[in-house]
Amino acid sequence: MDLLAQILINGILLGGLYAVMALGLALVWGVLNIVNLAHGAFIMLGGYLSWHLYTYLGIDPFLGLPITAVVMFGLGYCLQRGVLNLIVRAPMFNTLLITFGLEVVLTYLAQMAFSADFRTINPSYAGSNIALGPVVIPMARLMAFGVAVVLTVGMWLFLLHSRLGRAIRATAQNLVAARLYGVEPRHLYAMTFGIGIGLAGAAGGLYGTVSQIDPYIGATLTAKSFAIAIIGGLDNPLGVLVGGLVLGIIESLTVLYIGATFGDVASFGVLVLVLIVRPSGLLGKTA
Amino acid sequence: MSNRTLRLAGAILGAAAILSCAPAMAEDIVLGASVQLTGPVANTGRYYRDAYQFTIDKINEAGGIKVGDKQYKLALKLYDNQSDVNLSVRQYTQLVSQDKVNLLLGPFASNFALADSAVSEKYQIPMVQGGGASDQIFSRKFKYIFGTLAPASNYFGSTVSMMKELDPKPKSVALLYADDAFDVSVAEGTRPLLKDAGFTIALDERYTSNASDFNSLLSQIKNANVDVVLVAGHETEILNFVRQAKSLSVAPKFYSFTVGVPSEDFRKALDKDANYAFGMTAWLPSAKLKDKWFGDAETFAKEYKAKFGYDPDYHAASGAADVEALAQALENAGTLDPKAVRDAIAKLNFDSLYGTIAFGENGQIDLAQTVIQIQDDKLVAVYDAKGFVEKPKYPMPAWNAR
Repeated sequence: MDLLAQILINGILLGGLYAVMALGLALVWGVLNIVNLAHGAFIMLGGYLSWHLYTYLGIDPFLGLPITAVVMFGLGYCLQRGVLNLIVRAPMFNTLLITFGLEVVLTYLAQMAFSADFRTINPSYAGSNIALGPVVIPMARLMAFGVAVVLTVGMWLFLLHSRLGRAIRATAQNLVAARLYGVEPRHLYAMTFGIGIGLAGAAGGLYGTVSQIDPYIGATLTAKSFAIAIIGGLDNPLGVLVGGLVLGIIESLTVLYIGATFGDVASFGVLVLVLIVRPSGLLGKTA
Repeated sequence: MSNRTLRLAGAILGAAAILSCAPAMAEDIVLGASVQLTGPVANTGRYYRDAYQFTIDKINEAGGIKVGDKQYKLALKLYDNQSDVNLSVRQYTQLVSQDKVNLLLGPFASNFALADSAVSEKYQIPMVQGGGASDQIFSRKFKYIFGTLAPASNYFGSTVSMMKELDPKPKSVALLYADDAFDVSVAEGTRPLLKDAGFTIALDERYTSNASDFNSLLSQIKNANVDVVLVAGHETEILNFVRQAKSLSVAPKFYSFTVGVPSEDFRKALDKDANYAFGMTAWLPSAKLKDKWFGDAETFAKEYKAKFGYDPDYHAASGAADVEALAQALENAGTLDPKAVRDAIAKLNFDSLYGTIAFGENGQIDLAQTVIQIQDDKLVAVYDAKGFVEKPKYPMPAWNAR
């Protein structure tokens, strides 16, 4: 029983981390209709940024998250204005190609700049934990989970109530109508992409604190984020949080009851199941 | 295209043709290899790139090698396989069929060597590889593949012998391993060793390569309250394992890992948390290991560090030994004929910085593993074939009692 409780806690905390990783991907996909295959690479860059802030400037990884997010936001904004905007009206295939190309370029630049060595962000509390009777809650993961919840709810409120958020939603629903109401799509797209990449950067900082960073973590993280975004649905950040939690819990239980090699089978199995039963995601509007 | 650009293009092409011919000059013996310079295992692949080039340069500085009555220099033709097995097979095919290299050096990792050795066998060009230890590579009766890593099945051999002599003697063991050729071979070899030594295997789990979440497995280890955890995996997984063990307060009396512990990178990434981890290595940079070209292993390690800026571990030494094995076999054979060189490799028996190079019937070297432990941020040899070298720090204290 203790074991089950511990595994459930592990799953929930893992799910929170998953949710932050997928949040930016889902936003960009939902609004710009770009499946950003470079999303994982941006998480990786955010991780390196946090690592540098921590290692060379001594900035705590959690306090450094806003810096990382802002820098990554700037990068995302410029990339959208300068590169992705060229293909914003092009067929889906072109967007896949260009983001895949970005993934490759970023990965190789990262290896040239940072080498293939593993980097860990290891503040003193990274390994500490809170014991609740027989169940142990790892500190870093709990903090990452907290950040995940704050970011998700923040995103949700932002999209629901702020002027920019409403413009983003309006554009996602109907571009023509939004333009008639004075939304300037070029700026708005770049803002959205910037926010997406900023979130990826924050996720990278968290990832570096609970795991380690090397230039090649991107592809797997993109795949995982993709699955979570589909499971949770694209039109609501809360859906992504639910998607992340579902995936985290299912993976942890699979390792316990079936075997450690079946984690991915289970998560992508759930993905297929969701696509069949609820194609617009668990919290999405039913078709 | 204007006349000028055409001429420019012509000049560039001409220059490229001259440049590309340069390394393949008549008197060079070319050794071909495909190594992971980029991609997820680039971190270990670099040991082979650096060790190959370093050893070849060293041999050339000493005047090269004498085959028959002609003096030759060695040259390296190296491709980056991007950590992709399929690409590496294509590159080895290209090395033997188009680049016409004389002999082959290996890639890193068992699954690569397993696939690539099919190429050397097909074209009958001997390959000496120091990156694949899986017993599978050597169980197919191939004649052209030789390996300088100790057999995977015996990686934990010395560790299990040591465990029998520990006080208090551990009882239960958890065995975790990744699902690739090397780690499966390690697990298959370790199970009977553990059973024969009277340990109970409380947990025996295979996990996906590159797994980043070990929380569930760690919780099971804690729940089963095992004394010993043996993990056969890759460095990134081991790092995750140790960090997550700390964050879940999982501290068995003893844990040991097939990779990571000997490498500097591992100690840097984990800092103090690397302490108490056991591992094994078939090579330590000792002055007792004499070498024809480098003097001894200690000098090799010193010069290597000075040149590349990081400490060599057994991967690097094994890679250097591969080049030396080929060089020595060429001299012994007295001809460049691949078949004759192959027979000379099979008969090799010489002392090197890596130890005595002599291959068994199946083509694999047999070296004993020394058990090592990280004690106070330093790598310490604790147990070898002759028994204890240094006192191991055992049992491992709880994480909050360090």
